[in-house]
Amino acid sequence: MTAVEAKALIKDVNPAQSGGTNLLHILRGVNLKVNAGETVAILGGSGSGKTTLLSLLAGLDLPSQGENWLDGQRLNDLDEDGRAALRAGRVGFVFQSFQLLPGFSALENVMLAAELAGERNAESSARQILAQVGLQDRLEHLPHQLSGGEQQRVAIARAFAGKPRILFADEPTGNLDTVTGERIIELLFELNRAQGTTLILVTHDAALAERCRRVLHLRDGQLHEQEQQVA
Amino acid sequence: MNKRLALRYAGRRLRRITSAGELRVLALAIFIAVTAAAAVGLFSDRMRGALEAQSGEALGADLLVTGREALPADLADAAEQLGIQTLEHLNFPSLVLAGDNTALAAIKAVSPGYPLRGELRIAPEAFSPAATTRDIPKPGEAWADARLWSELGLQTGSQVQVGNLKLTVSAFLEYEPDRGVGFVDLAPRLLVNRQDIADSGLLGPGSRVQYTRMFSAAANSLAQLRKTTDLPPALRWITPSEARPEVRQALDRAGKFLDIAVLAVALLAAVAVALTAQQHGERLRDEIAVMKCLGASRAFVLQAHILSLLLLGAISTLLGLLAGYAGQAVLANLLAGLIQNLDLPAPALGAMIAPAGLAMIMLLGFAAPPLVTASGTPPMRVFQRSAENSGSTSVIWATASLAVLAILGWQTRELELGAYVLAGSAAALILLALITWLLVRSLTGLRHRGGLSWRFGLGNIARRRRRSIGQAVALGLGLLALLLVSVVREDLLNAWQDRLPADTPNVFLINIQSEQLDPLKSFFAARGYDQLRLWPMARGRLVELNGEAVTADSFEDPDTQRWINRDFNMSWSDYIGWDNKITEGEWWGDEADGQAWLSAEEYARERLGIGIGDRMTLQFGPEKIEFTVHNFREVQWDSFQPNFFLLAPPGVIENVPAQWLTSFYLPRDQRSLLRDLMTEFPNITALDLEAAMNQVRSIVDRLVQAVEFMLLFTLLAGLVVLLAAIEGTRGERARETALLRTLGASSRTLQWGLLSEFAVLGLIAGLVAAATAQGIAWLLAVQVFDIPYGLSPGLWLISTLAGAGLVMLFGWLSLRGVLRTPPTRVLQGA
Repeated sequence: MTAVEAKALIKDVNPAQSGGTNLLHILRGVNLKVNAGETVAILGGSGSGKTTLLSLLAGLDLPSQGENWLDGQRLNDLDEDGRAALRAGRVGFVFQSFQLLPGFSALENVMLAAELAGERNAESSARQILAQVGLQDRLEHLPHQLSGGEQQRVAIARAFAGKPRILFADEPTGNLDTVTGERIIELLFELNRAQGTTLILVTHDAALAERCRRVLHLRDGQLHEQEQQVA
Repeated sequence: MNKRLALRYAGRRLRRITSAGELRVLALAIFIAVTAAAAVGLFSDRMRGALEAQSGEALGADLLVTGREALPADLADAAEQLGIQTLEHLNFPSLVLAGDNTALAAIKAVSPGYPLRGELRIAPEAFSPAATTRDIPKPGEAWADARLWSELGLQTGSQVQVGNLKLTVSAFLEYEPDRGVGFVDLAPRLLVNRQDIADSGLLGPGSRVQYTRMFSAAANSLAQLRKTTDLPPALRWITPSEARPEVRQALDRAGKFLDIAVLAVALLAAVAVALTAQQHGERLRDEIAVMKCLGASRAFVLQAHILSLLLLGAISTLLGLLAGYAGQAVLANLLAGLIQNLDLPAPALGAMIAPAGLAMIMLLGFAAPPLVTASGTPPMRVFQRSAENSGSTSVIWATASLAVLAILGWQTRELELGAYVLAGSAAALILLALITWLLVRSLTGLRHRGGLSWRFGLGNIARRRRRSIGQAVALGLGLLALLLVSVVREDLLNAWQDRLPADTPNVFLINIQSEQLDPLKSFFAARGYDQLRLWPMARGRLVELNGEAVTADSFEDPDTQRWINRDFNMSWSDYIGWDNKITEGEWWGDEADGQAWLSAEEYARERLGIGIGDRMTLQFGPEKIEFTVHNFREVQWDSFQPNFFLLAPPGVIENVPAQWLTSFYLPRDQRSLLRDLMTEFPNITALDLEAAMNQVRSIVDRLVQAVEFMLLFTLLAGLVVLLAAIEGTRGERARETALLRTLGASSRTLQWGLLSEFAVLGLIAGLVAAATAQGIAWLLAVQVFDIPYGLSPGLWLISTLAGAGLVMLFGWLSLRGVLRTPPTRVLQGA
């Protein structure tokens, strides 16, 4: 079954948004098909458009041209609320800058995702998954009372709380030191394996990309596939 | 997305309110507005309830006819024919002597059967248990109320003297149902028997007697009486619903001030709410983007945030209502002196609806629109901070304007007054913005001079020019409220008081007969008062204007009709006092003696439409005299000097029956002079103005205290605006500060930089507030109170210093945490 599919995606940014005078062609016809349960890394340098691609694939934004599907649904047909409804419970995110709600405790951050996914026992499953990421003693802490690594662990717990089918991760270790980053990646892949989630990971870190089943290079606004073996 | 989840989310957000400083300020603003509105609303409601609940008892009858002239004799007959019970009583001010003590009292002379409704309560001695009675004082006896009892140091059996009447105090008057119809009743009461008055010499010409006839019967008989009686214009009917005009008037006036105070609080609070909601909306954008990533719809986001706002508003409103409940008790207590014998009902819970409604208007009108805009934040913002929806600010402005109108309609009983306040505020706001813009612009030159901290601070203002102007205007608004409440009010009061010299007369003598002039002058000369100026006074009625007969019907304006119907108190002199200003023509000298000229007060010109050279014929008893208007004067009526609408030169009205009057300043330690005077000249009425002025002053004091109490809320609301303006930049400053610290700036440099920025902003706001406050004060002084008012350098100094000081203090309090937080934490966005 196809989890994510994109056909001839083009994304242009108009001069007013980019601050320049010429239309910027960020993506120039991206084609992609990701099957359920696959792990895919999208590698690219700064400004290559990988985050833009991620936001299109997750339905956070719409392409200038082309069409794409998420969990079998054509995103071009949906308005913003429709795309949000599609994400609820099916899509999880891990961001480089964690993006935890600052006024909410670790438990509440995770619970909210579970609740939005329609989870009935949101609190107990949130507690459970926070225990899985080793934060059972930090449940009531607010984000600013946690270290960077802990915050990212909360973010991972939140991403998996709604039992998503697809997980998008944007430079998940970008804000962490090497040791913490490695632990976080271990955790991410472990949960991913346990839940059989489709993982699409965007990074500039080739070593991290190697851990995925498929590695795609984003160059000049187009994707180039590189075959590789799972370690 | 269900509603329960939205509610849960809203509840969670609310518990973390401490993490959002601006929400605390928002809650505080609503709390203050609701408290002020509830205090005034509940109090006014109680007063209205009390006044409406008044029955005939408040009049002592079901209907009254009252006036300053003797009542028509046939009125009693007409009433009796209709089977209506009726009685007459007299009311007049007079000095009462007891031993060495004197007091100005309101004498009420009653006949058996008084009152027709309700009952008197008396006690054998002061403050001992009282009992109701159907009696009245026997001839030769008097009943005194508590104030007179203490002012004169009375005991049962004490002798008091009123005019040449000597009376024995036989009871303590605890309660009279119809207390308080007319100003004179604010003085302490002496109740006497009507029979005694005939011999007292107190009712001579020129005395200030209020004649009242009471009626009691079924409503239809009373209606019949009113229909068949043609009342002279100087008299009027009073029904129970019109009782207590003095209370109504005083409260009406106080009510207006209180309303303005509440309106000012509401508008200031609205500014604070709008500012904080704007900041809150901005802050929420990141959170909303994340929620949308997680699958939340815009409707859910909006629902959750509006719910959390409403929950917060509900808590603030509830607390505000509780505080307002206490506030109305303070108001009732402060104004209790004005409300004798008026049983205030308990505060009605229904009166809490309006303040709660005000909170709702503020929440939906000022707080919700920025949230609506923020709820449109696209989820892309999680990757791209600049991603924003194209939410138009014009919607926010339109909603806010509607909300301002709603507040005006909601909070002011008089739309015109509300419109004035709004127009004034708008003008003040524009003025504030304009001056601030000029000042901020002028800072550009100073940006590159001075130390690092100074340049950093000033640079902040210049870099964020629009925001700085907004902040300074908000701060200026808060300071303006502070200044108007404290300094300007004091200034205006002093300016008013300074108008009256220290030796302003405090005693008036009236009722002086022509043959008493010489003995009276000698009496005063013997006591060191040789400058006594005596004014003759004759009563004349206007009968012709330029040779044509005039009556009240010749004029359409009811005020003129009433004025024409009265006798004019007219005097003659070749002297004009400092409190009279000639506005047209010239004052006369010796050449005028015997000329039938007239000097008229401007009021006469307005009412009669006369000019110089017009002829006015006045009738004095049987004699008619035709005068030619020679000049016009403007009289300062509150100078406490004898003054007259019409003056003629000496030698014209000499043969007309006249009385004389005078006024003089009597120092407190020479009050025994009054006693000697009363003994020697019993017919002369001495009006103790000091007592009257003190009564008026005490009423005004209480009203001022009540208004001041409400202005306290204005002051608090001003401070909240200030707080909101500072909190608004907190996040941005925190990031900047952290960044600069990582770049190597020392905490000290940053601290001084921030302080110098705040100091300059405060100075600007203070200057602008002072300029606006002076403008408003000048307008009030010249246009409303008609008193001179000049520049007050103290105000500018206080304002700028207070501005700088307050902003630095609040800024420091708000940001000291930021300066202590490790920069990494700030930069991580935690």
